[in-house]
Amino acid sequence: MSKSIRQRIAEELTGPALPFVAFCIALNLTAGQVTAALKIPLYLDSIGTILVAVLVGPWAAVLCGSTANLLAAAFGNPTMMFFIPVVAVIGAFTGVVAKLGWFRKWYLVCLGGILQGILAAMVSAPISAYLFSGVMMAGTDFLVLYFRSLGNTLMNSVLYQGLASDPADKLVSYLIVFLLVRNLPQRLLARLHGAANLRTPDPTP
Amino acid sequence: MILRIDLSAKLALVGLLWVCAFMLPWAYQAFLCVLVITARFAIPQLRPQSERSSKAFSRFLLYSVAVATFVILLNSMLIRGGATMGSILGFSLYEEGLFFGVRTASRLLLLTYAVLLFFVSTPLKELIRFLQQKGLSPSFTLILLLTLHFLDHLPARIHQIFLAQQARGAPVDAGIVSRSRALLSILSPLVLSSIVESIDRGTALELRGFLNRPQDARLITQPTAERNALTIILLAGTIILLLATLSRWLLG
Repeated sequence: MSKSIRQRIAEELTGPALPFVAFCIALNLTAGQVTAALKIPLYLDSIGTILVAVLVGPWAAVLCGSTANLLAAAFGNPTMMFFIPVVAVIGAFTGVVAKLGWFRKWYLVCLGGILQGILAAMVSAPISAYLFSGVMMAGTDFLVLYFRSLGNTLMNSVLYQGLASDPADKLVSYLIVFLLVRNLPQRLLARLHGAANLRTPDPTP
Repeated sequence: MILRIDLSAKLALVGLLWVCAFMLPWAYQAFLCVLVITARFAIPQLRPQSERSSKAFSRFLLYSVAVATFVILLNSMLIRGGATMGSILGFSLYEEGLFFGVRTASRLLLLTYAVLLFFVSTPLKELIRFLQQKGLSPSFTLILLLTLHFLDHLPARIHQIFLAQQARGAPVDAGIVSRSRALLSILSPLVLSSIVESIDRGTALELRGFLNRPQDARLITQPTAERNALTIILLAGTIILLLATLSRWLLG
């Protein structure tokens, strides 16, 4: 019998996963502080979601990303609320990719990051185009402007801008999470639900 | 039946404003934006609940005006249709683009102001308590409360790790590649310490039976409050507006 979403989330959110998801939500909201201190031109605003997807599971990751965006809206950036579908897709896709064992090999991580970026661009394009007219008050707005000046429609211009910037951003986020979880002690990882995603399956029956 | 601006009424107001943002002409939306800003100052229940919320509201107000101006200007320049309305820095502004920009900006402002008004006037802990009374799971309530705890402590912890790594000679001021490596040296201990803390907290929760008996572990259990007439009026308004728009669309 198929399980309800609530049951699946409850299955993933056990023991240390509960406080870990809470930490990752907070990390999504504060990671910008680290990149700003190091003057690195990255947002890393979905790094917590990716971490949860790998170490806990896809449903917990969807919950993590959505809650982070909801809290970002509560802390004075209401536009984030409209991008909840995007973070939900990021969490679900990464969770599935991690379950397939892609976080065991660096080249699969790269492939996953690029595919994730394409998917995120496709989901965020209609929101960005119809709600915000493609203007997000970021450097990427000039890319939208460039594509529109080439005669593309608003929707296509926003999509092309997303396809030009999102895969690189997600690739870096995926690689950072890959390097982070690889360096964590197995003894600690074993306490989290998704630790099996990182172990190579034993070939002996 | 009571009539007051409580949390359910505020949520219903957000719903009504969102429907207005998609169903009403831009001039009404702009008027509603002014009303929302006025309400923040005029109605005590809609005033920011803390100094931080008040600052966030003012900051977002300035940001949103900048975004709206940018949306209007960009569309006026890019969508070339109708008469020329003027020019800025040598770029012509077109009528069709101008109206498209105004429509988009007013919708965007109304959508975001509605959310902003709700969150600045509602302390998060009150919202969590309300959601729990409405059936939110204790696990999710706990996640929200722990997130607030982490949000209070994480910036200080990040700063501490940053200073420690800097003292150890991490290349925090070198080239972009070295700084990217320094990023890992900051995130690694942060994530590691969080997993250790999560295991400790998870064990404590298990020992207290929180995860096994969620019904008993509810943090607050209060009887449902009286029905609020204002909530019902706002919800009725939302449904009437939706039906009116739908019937107008169906009848052509």
